[in-house]
Amino acid sequence: MTGDMEESENPPLTEFAELHGCSCKVGQGDLEALLREAGLDRADDDLLFGVGEDAFARRLREDLALVGTVDFFTPIADDPYDFGRVAACNAASDAFATGATENLTCMVVLALPRAITDCAPAIIAGMADVLEDVEGTVAGGHTTMNPWPIAGGAVTATGDPGQFMTTAGAQPGDRLYLTKPLGTQPAMGAHRVRNGEFGDSVRDVTDRGIGDIAADALDWMTTPNRDAARVARAYATAATDVTGFGLCGEARVLGSRSGVGVEITRLPVIDGTPALSRLFGYGLEDGESAETSGGLLIAVSPEHTATLEDEFAERGVFVREVGRVTDGTGVRLREPEIDPVRL
Amino acid sequence: MERVDVTGEVCPRPALIVRDRLGDLDPGEQLLVRGDYPPAEENLRRTCRKHGFEVSGESDGGEDFELTITVTDEAASE
Repeated sequence: MTGDMEESENPPLTEFAELHGCSCKVGQGDLEALLREAGLDRADDDLLFGVGEDAFARRLREDLALVGTVDFFTPIADDPYDFGRVAACNAASDAFATGATENLTCMVVLALPRAITDCAPAIIAGMADVLEDVEGTVAGGHTTMNPWPIAGGAVTATGDPGQFMTTAGAQPGDRLYLTKPLGTQPAMGAHRVRNGEFGDSVRDVTDRGIGDIAADALDWMTTPNRDAARVARAYATAATDVTGFGLCGEARVLGSRSGVGVEITRLPVIDGTPALSRLFGYGLEDGESAETSGGLLIAVSPEHTATLEDEFAERGVFVREVGRVTDGTGVRLREPEIDPVRL
Repeated sequence: MERVDVTGEVCPRPALIVRDRLGDLDPGEQLLVRGDYPPAEENLRRTCRKHGFEVSGESDGGEDFELTITVTDEAASE
């Protein structure tokens, strides 16, 4: 593992793409317009859920359903093995966000510029190691040449449909929880420019080392959401994972599909990232910064919050209450408390 | 008016380049920023707003944008 963010001998992968990690995702409005134009904005009666959710689910038996999703993106880390780990963790996260955590199987999606095809084994090894950690497996894949490096996978998993979570179902009064701190985009942005002409600029704005901040970000991006999902699915009224749209963007999706409003009162952040975000204009303190392989955003009825918090603590899984579900529509930030988190 | 072109620059560099150039200017002076990537425009508008600069200008409806950033007393005192 290269979680200490030391220099590697591999070419810096992030230099091969202009967008990094989940920030390469098509914008929320553009995606909704695309689905409308393609006629894919209606529910499919053959599925438990599908378009618009993190994954699809098809019932196989009364107590068993197949969940499938695909997710891939450009490098967020320079090291191929780390890139693979983040990519696998992020792809699996869309299945976990539904509560399906069993029989996890990944078909690798990999595309690389010709100059760095020798990175492929390390990327796939990183993916395989993460999947093994969650009792999953790499079952094949598809590899092509592409100007920008891309890695990810088509992931399937199974679960009990009675415990599935979607973005619809949150009720006014529910509490909102987040299972990873925010700030991966400014952390990795600072890491990319740390050695160049702007090295001093990024070091000057925070009293925490850029290497430490980026190492924390990498650890969070490679932490699977499986254990969080296994607790959440017993109690959540709605859930999603936080990725390229940022916390507020994902909360907006959850609110819109549940027909409710969302109020954000706390922002857990990787310590050191708010100052970097202000420098880069990323909007972390407004909940707008893109996240890569972020945590689950979970809505829970107030009667279950104490049990949920206890179970997260018992399993040693990070969780913070970040707000609540309200009547109305849209997402409001109510002078959110910035909660710095260090590993 | 001072000018800077961040066309082709990858985030977070546009914000850092613009910040450096603004540091050389006095209150009342303006910097014209040209670029070609909408998220960079959004990030520039946001970071300028947070630091008290005035921002005007619009994108051409496509990818390209042109922003005029005015140094204020508030921004200069930061």
